[in-house]
Amino acid sequence: MKNTSLIPFLFLVPVLILQVSLIPFLSLNGISPDLVLILLVFYTIRNNQMYGTITGFIFGGISDLVFGTILGSSMIAKTVSGFIAGYFSSENKRDEYLTPINFGLIIFLIGIIDNSIFAFFSSFDLSENFISSLLTNTILKSVYTSVLSILMIIVIPKRRMFE
Amino acid sequence: MSKFFYHFWQNFKEFLVLIFLIIVSLYLITLDSSAKTQKLRAMVFSSLAIVNSVLSDIFDSEDLKEDNERLRETNAELMLQLSKLRKDALLIEQLKNSLALKDTSKLQLLSSRVVSRFINNLQETVTIDLGKSDGVEIGMPVISDKGLVGIVFSVSDDFAIVKTLRNNSLNLTVKAERTGEHGVLKWKSNSLRIINVPKTYQIKKGDRIVISELSSIIPVIVPVGVAHSMENLETGIFNEIVVIPYVDFNKVEYVFVIPVVASKEIRNLELNLLKKFK
Repeated sequence: MKNTSLIPFLFLVPVLILQVSLIPFLSLNGISPDLVLILLVFYTIRNNQMYGTITGFIFGGISDLVFGTILGSSMIAKTVSGFIAGYFSSENKRDEYLTPINFGLIIFLIGIIDNSIFAFFSSFDLSENFISSLLTNTILKSVYTSVLSILMIIVIPKRRMFE
Repeated sequence: MSKFFYHFWQNFKEFLVLIFLIIVSLYLITLDSSAKTQKLRAMVFSSLAIVNSVLSDIFDSEDLKEDNERLRETNAELMLQLSKLRKDALLIEQLKNSLALKDTSKLQLLSSRVVSRFINNLQETVTIDLGKSDGVEIGMPVISDKGLVGIVFSVSDDFAIVKTLRNNSLNLTVKAERTGEHGVLKWKSNSLRIINVPKTYQIKKGDRIVISELSSIIPVIVPVGVAHSMENLETGIFNEIVVIPYVDFNKVEYVFVIPVVASKEIRNLELNLLKKFK
């Protein structure tokens, strides 16, 4: 059995480069998909909850440093996201969770949690319109990330995905 | 006892690790602006910025880049001059003495290219290809040929992260050029707003909003945007004015750093004042 636990860390650098170079061109009114979240959830489902929690912590920390967001805000969001994604890492259901529609729904669910936590720790402002903020900063972004994740899971060859 | 802890760990290790990592993250939030964090941030983002810079270089035609850079610099200088002239004109109209005005047209501009951008509705940043070695420091204002882009937030030797106006941690003192009324500009509810505006203010749709001379962050009068609409008219004692920025943050490619830091200027002035009275 191959040790694949370091693979997402190898992918992290190209994903971060894409996030700051290609993704801005795909953003719609300031709403852009989160490639780091897709990478995290995908490899958490393939591994386990503990792996997801620790990987989320590291990914979040690196994202905070690279993107210039408040150190710890993305870290805490991705740690919780990795932890929740771990609930979908059950060995006998893994293949089912990695089908395009299921994976998209998982990304949507975790995206809402990730974006809400990030928004809470980076801009806690009681005077803001909560519903409007929730819609634009969490739901729409999660939908966009989810759609992109479905396309990505379709593109990744099945042989590689389940090896 | 050790058996109990072993079983406890075996049953709840995922939760224990989660709680531990959340506590570490919360602790790190408090260290966000510390010198060590800034150093680490500079090291990490500059490594990625080098790759981005090389990639964007490949796609850029060198000649066009130079021409564009020169034209944009001229535009930016003209924009600053125009901003000053508008202010002068208003002051003359009001029969005020304009001798004390700061001559922004003589400010040196450091031209730079955006090598990467992080699009986010809460904390948007861009990375530029100028750093400490070019004289860039934290707190320096960054402009484009259209108006204010943001301020430098973190610097490595060759790159800098700029917080754009679409960043909720940036609050700036601005004023309406026509009425001279001041307010605090903030990125809020996915739009740029002047918050806590008294209902007696006369700012109207279409008024130019510029950085105020009272700003402790940006010591130069730079145009920011145009007043678009007034909100919260019915409730509360304050209004909010939505401002449409002149700069399209998604498209800005070339920017200019103004090598002045407000706090340093104030500090020097205060020191001069102290010397005078000694």
